[in-house]
Amino acid sequence: MASNAQGSPVKALLVDDTAVDALILSTKLRKFHCETTVAKTGKEALDLFHEGKKFDIVLCDKDMPIMNGLEAVEKIRAMGEIDVKIVGLSADYDATEVFMSAGADAFVPKPMKLDVLSAIIQEVINKKNNTMV
Amino acid sequence: MEAKMQLNTLMANMFATGLLDDQFRQLQILHEGSSPDFITEIITLFCMEGEGIINDLAKLLNKPFVDFNKVDTLLYRLQGSSATVGAQRVKDTCIQFHKFCQDNTRYGCLDTLDVVRNDFYDLRSKFQIMVQLEQQVWTFYRKH
Repeated sequence: MASNAQGSPVKALLVDDTAVDALILSTKLRKFHCETTVAKTGKEALDLFHEGKKFDIVLCDKDMPIMNGLEAVEKIRAMGEIDVKIVGLSADYDATEVFMSAGADAFVPKPMKLDVLSAIIQEVINKKNNTMV
Repeated sequence: MEAKMQLNTLMANMFATGLLDDQFRQLQILHEGSSPDFITEIITLFCMEGEGIINDLAKLLNKPFVDFNKVDTLLYRLQGSSATVGAQRVKDTCIQFHKFCQDNTRYGCLDTLDVVRNDFYDLRSKFQIMVQLEQQVWTFYRKH
């Protein structure tokens, strides 16, 4: 189960304008009992942070209208959100460098496999548990 | 049950001919425990979004001045959703398409767009049959 030592679910923000990709990844996140919010653009994601919403992990696509994922990641970090784990996603397999330069912690090419997601979620849980000790 | 046999044959054919890859099998495993309409919803969304992207690609490529960056960005959307649902052949054609984009070759892009379109429509028609057969199987098992 994807929860920390005190039992609260991992809060995930999924940023993707492709509905089928968002549906599949949010279903995978649900398998790990994550509490998932979906934003369709980088701007929507940023607005959530401006509203004071907190997330343990952001899974962010690269190419989206209005505000792309790279700009969103830069701006989320510029807001001082340095603890949230940010994972870039894209079918562009060469996007690692641009995502890391923007401030992401990791990049995973699409499609994200269940075992990769499991390892990432476990990492988030371990970090939360270590922070609480 | 005949619908079930037809469905199995169709699925086997789609995997054998490279239309689908293991990612689709992973979705079927993911589907277990999800709503019965999960796969239908995935297929419907993929087909709807895919058709929209292909139409937009055609419009971009038929402009007097082609913005290959926009074409490439759209292509990554189609490649991404194809990879996510396991639409192997469409995904592989998108990868070839990128090369023509990077070379800024309009005619190469237009030719590859035709291939993508054919691959996509081939997949879509088989997906539609799959959904119909799934519904027949589901209806049969509900009654018996």
